[in-house]
Amino acid sequence: MLREATKALRAAGEAWLERGFALAFPFIAALVVASLVLLVIGKNPLEVFTLMAVEAFGSSSRFAATMSAATPLLFTGVATAICFRAGVFNVGVEGAFIVGGLGAAFIGFALPATLGPMLIPLGFALAVAASTFWLAVPGYLLARYEIEEVVTTLMLNFVALGVTGYLVNGPLLSEKTGNNVTPLIHESAELARLIPPSTLHAGFLLGLAVVAGYGFWVRRTPAGIENAIVGRNRRFARAIGISIPGTIILVMVISGFVSGLGGASHALGQLHRFAEGFSPGYGFTGMAVALLGRNTAFGILFGAILFGALASAGTTVQLFSDIPLDIVNIIEGTVMIFAVVELGRITLFRRRAVS
Amino acid sequence: MPATEVTRGGGKAVSVRLGTTGLNKSYGTVQANRNVSLAVAPQEIHAVVGENGAGKTTLMRILQGIEQPDSGEILVDNEPCRFSGPREAFAAGIGMIHQEFMLAPDLTLIENLVLGDEPVKTPIARIDWNAARASGDALSAQAGIRIDWDRRAGTTPVHIQQYVEIIRLLRRGTRVLIMDEPTSVLAPQQVEDLFRLLRHLREGGTTILFISHKLREVMALADQVTVMRRGEVTFSRSVGETDMAEVASHVVAGEFDHEDPVFEKRRKSKHDRSVLEVDALCAPPIERSHPLRGINLTVGTGEIVGLAGVAGNGQSELVECLVGLREPSSGRIQLKDRDITHATIKVRRAGGMGYVSADRRHEGLALDVSIEINATAGSLRAPPICKGVAIDPAALRQTAAERLSRLDVRFGSLRDAVRSLSGGNQQRTVFARETAQDPTLLIVSQPTRGVDLKGIAAIHSILADIRMEGGSVLLVSEELDEIIALSDRIYVIADGRIVGEVPRERADVATIGRMMLAGNGDLHAA
Repeated sequence: MLREATKALRAAGEAWLERGFALAFPFIAALVVASLVLLVIGKNPLEVFTLMAVEAFGSSSRFAATMSAATPLLFTGVATAICFRAGVFNVGVEGAFIVGGLGAAFIGFALPATLGPMLIPLGFALAVAASTFWLAVPGYLLARYEIEEVVTTLMLNFVALGVTGYLVNGPLLSEKTGNNVTPLIHESAELARLIPPSTLHAGFLLGLAVVAGYGFWVRRTPAGIENAIVGRNRRFARAIGISIPGTIILVMVISGFVSGLGGASHALGQLHRFAEGFSPGYGFTGMAVALLGRNTAFGILFGAILFGALASAGTTVQLFSDIPLDIVNIIEGTVMIFAVVELGRITLFRRRAVS
Repeated sequence: MPATEVTRGGGKAVSVRLGTTGLNKSYGTVQANRNVSLAVAPQEIHAVVGENGAGKTTLMRILQGIEQPDSGEILVDNEPCRFSGPREAFAAGIGMIHQEFMLAPDLTLIENLVLGDEPVKTPIARIDWNAARASGDALSAQAGIRIDWDRRAGTTPVHIQQYVEIIRLLRRGTRVLIMDEPTSVLAPQQVEDLFRLLRHLREGGTTILFISHKLREVMALADQVTVMRRGEVTFSRSVGETDMAEVASHVVAGEFDHEDPVFEKRRKSKHDRSVLEVDALCAPPIERSHPLRGINLTVGTGEIVGLAGVAGNGQSELVECLVGLREPSSGRIQLKDRDITHATIKVRRAGGMGYVSADRRHEGLALDVSIEINATAGSLRAPPICKGVAIDPAALRQTAAERLSRLDVRFGSLRDAVRSLSGGNQQRTVFARETAQDPTLLIVSQPTRGVDLKGIAAIHSILADIRMEGGSVLLVSEELDEIIALSDRIYVIADGRIVGEVPRERADVATIGRMMLAGNGDLHAA
């Protein structure tokens, strides 16, 4: 009895260790690679990493900057993961995020300021509607006609860039400030700042809520569990009565919905307008976050904060030292590569799998 | 030792070109090959027949060096040898042609012919296409055929692709050609042409070993026939000394004695009303599958109805139509009083249909998903597992544990992937899920494939219990003795039609085997 209990405990412990290791492995590997690069250019890796850690988490303002940089990734990470775990390779979160951002910003400046705080829910509503529609279309095409989602969603990103780029250089161009931006939104449409003067805004809390909601969806709802079954084995899923087209459309719609929330939060909370180059690839970094986090809520939180920290540290590290910004890019790139490789799990735990 | 004097291909003192002695191979608790001894003489066409899961594929994989035997020896030219990998077997002159052809569709036939072994004068020279063509022409002339080498493989008819594969192997020094179901993709006339080619190759010195389900073709082509059953060689005879009926009886031979406990549970079934009615069901062939040409059958309450037939005569297509995985082109399926011909799978399952798939690993289970989810999938949306919008993890675990313990599934942790279970326990997990809600009709396809003997007994007793409790079962199996042991009535399917119906009183291997083969013969007499 006791032996069985300890055995179970050990198994549980090992499972946690395995999971923790799988999450941390890409990051550790990236640090090793970055260390090598730093050694070659004659820098002390420990000093550089310490400086970066301080710049990312060292003070409440730096911490706020990191969380602020992580905010859009919480949304795009969840929006990507929800599709990936159902086996739907949606790479169109970037486009949906942009479209949603423009929708929210449009409400924020185009409607009369007299609407006051009502502008915020209205802005979110238009953003969510636009983004949901944006991804529902490729979802429908995949579900109904088996048109490859990788192609359609990827291409729609360029459509989103083109259309929004045209709008902010034409009909929606701000008259006061030069190029490529819409007018600023009304003050009443701005999301509250959490730790002024940092840009960290209420959208961060919404992002945390979305991640938490995603965690609940994944573990505790029938649809969430069925999505994972579809992702693991479509034939099995079909044979037990799960609708594959229904699942595809569902995850694409939710993905669009979450992307819209993210775009709106970024437009109303961070930039207070829409601008060309609204997203420096948040959708794609979101893919890295989802892969790194292995589609778990905790992993997405960890991944978003990691990439947020790299971004916020990167911008200031080069101000205070002669370390090139490229080292941050190297770490980001290596993390992404190793996030895709399941090397850690395979080599370290193969023995156990066999026995 | 005389064997040392043997020269390759000379065949002077060689009595066994390729063979095995006392070969054993197990996967977990399933013994796929048991004491298998095979002897293929030089210049012989040797057929290995048996049902799916009889161990033929394992044997071929061992002969090709893909799998290592647990014990026993491989013989090449009378001499024992070991293949540590497919490369070594290939070097020894053993080449395999798979059911799925392996040509690169975008390359031309001549490019495919030399792919991986291009004729060049020096290591970095251009490919000598003239030499390639010359060798291809020489070999095809030897085989008595002509080939247009400039066609792309993808647009070439399958039988020509097959020729090219054969010539490709010959060009690279293959002396023993192993073929898996070589006629499965061919039309009857092409089968004749292939046979002529193979006989031609035999005269030229090639030895041929092929796997087949089709006894008529085996009798027409082979010199020697070996029957495998449940991992063992049960019969091997020169074709001249046997006939189709004898071979057939060995392929389907009964091994269940009639003292089987299943029989003691048997009572007179009272199928007063039908649960399943299938009326003139037709389905078009999709890709290489078999069309259904007007299937009629019924399954009554408290009845196990067997569907017997040689593999690939429409059984799986019928099952797919019944469970909703395939759309029939015409006809009608009625479950109890309800027309479900075009209903979704969900509706069918809600109406009381359960399904045990023949493909346990890909359709019956999600191998990488936990045992608890595999045992409860399909019931996640209803109480007791789902309360309101959320799943109650405790209720999920308890439901899974109850279902699994009812069928005595042995597992480590409910959270483990179902892959960690043995074949028998995996199959019992499928049954645990599919029988949990007392289905009115359980459709069961190849329930004991890849299951060890103990697991087989357990699954048979599960089916008998379902029947005892008034449930209905449609049992589709290639194991004729299994069908005979369990069924109240048996339908025989051949060429997409029901060719006979036999009540259990008159069911025996000989009668049903004859009906199966008669149908099969019609197909290829055309």
